[in-house]
Amino acid sequence: MLLVVTYSRRARETLRNACRAHEETVVRRFGRAALLRETEYGAFLACRLRERHAADVQIQRTEPFNEFADAPDSVREAAVAYEQRESPNTPYDRFAAGTDHPPSAAMRERDL
Amino acid sequence: MTAATPPPSFTLVLPDDTQLSGPVVDLRGRPTAPPRSALVRAVRAGGPVPEPAPAVLGPPPGPAHDHVGLLRTDRSFDRRAALAALAAARGVQTPHDPALATARRRLRAMSASPLDTSELREARRRAAEAGSQTERLRERVATIRGRVTALRAANDDVDKRVLEDAEDSLAAATRRLSEVSTRRVAAGQRLALLEARARNARDDRERRLRLEDRIGNLERAQRDARVAAVAPAFAAARDRIATRVSTGGDTVSRSTALTGALAAGRLAPPRAPLVVAPDVVAFLGGVAAAADALAAPLLVR
Repeated sequence: MLLVVTYSRRARETLRNACRAHEETVVRRFGRAALLRETEYGAFLACRLRERHAADVQIQRTEPFNEFADAPDSVREAAVAYEQRESPNTPYDRFAAGTDHPPSAAMRERDL
Repeated sequence: MTAATPPPSFTLVLPDDTQLSGPVVDLRGRPTAPPRSALVRAVRAGGPVPEPAPAVLGPPPGPAHDHVGLLRTDRSFDRRAALAALAAARGVQTPHDPALATARRRLRAMSASPLDTSELREARRRAAEAGSQTERLRERVATIRGRVTALRAANDDVDKRVLEDAEDSLAAATRRLSEVSTRRVAAGQRLALLEARARNARDDRERRLRLEDRIGNLERAQRDARVAAVAPAFAAARDRIATRVSTGGDTVSRSTALTGALAAGRLAPPRAPLVVAPDVVAFLGGVAAAADALAAPLLVR
């Protein structure tokens, strides 16, 4: 999908109007951002926004996140284990200490 | 409150250089006088204007003039906007004024953080081109390689020169592919760099947008407060005006738009002349009565 984020009042207004006029192309709308369907028409709207508002518009192409393909096993397993922890008040790093789960600092350093 | 001091005088300069002065200028006897819209424009523009338009010399219009500057029977009246402008003209202060002033000052002080989008655009175009070129060459190399392999397999049956030619073109294509791949990597890195820079610039834009939203909210609150501050005086003035014009006929007394505009005109501090249509003057009971009712300089047309 195409994620369009706006950074000025005018760009936000244009996006709002575009979303209202082209509901079929809009997957989701959030305040000043919207997810557009990945059709040629979605691209057409995105290009128009970029053309009109240049730097006030950010457009990203998004993909569904598949935790089995896009994240290392260790990360996925750490998340599952942490969500199933006994005591809900344990911070992650204390939970991970002394286990095979990666420390949060290390995960922050590593790009996917 | 304004009736004690006489309304300020002004001078109307017609396109034929005729000059008419006074707190009230009556153009009813002059069929060649400029149309009402031209007069309103002249009042708002002030001072000399390009010929052959009329000019009005006198106090500049206040904030409410947009809403009360033209009084005719078929007008519309945006009550909220008019009351807010009226309050501003009367110098009404609200608790939101200081915060709004601060926020506006901060917005002005913010750097515009210009971002060269053409550079980024060019980088996107280059990266895309380098990408598709690489794909095309990769396919070409694969095709030639297939051909060379086939020729080698059939070694005995082929002309040596044909095989050599094919090997040469494979070498050339491979070389070209490696050049283009290098360029592709460079283009990708450049694009990533510029995109990272654009992301940083967006933080500034984000802060700016938040401040603009804050200003928008404060402006709404200020407007509400302004409207509330003058609403009672406005209601009273409108009742008085409605009584005055009730003899003028159903059309006017029922036109809340006109009575609203008249009441706001009465409450606005007298500055630039109000352009009044003759039928409105008649409803108010003549020029003198209209000047008294509105307590403002008038231009009757």
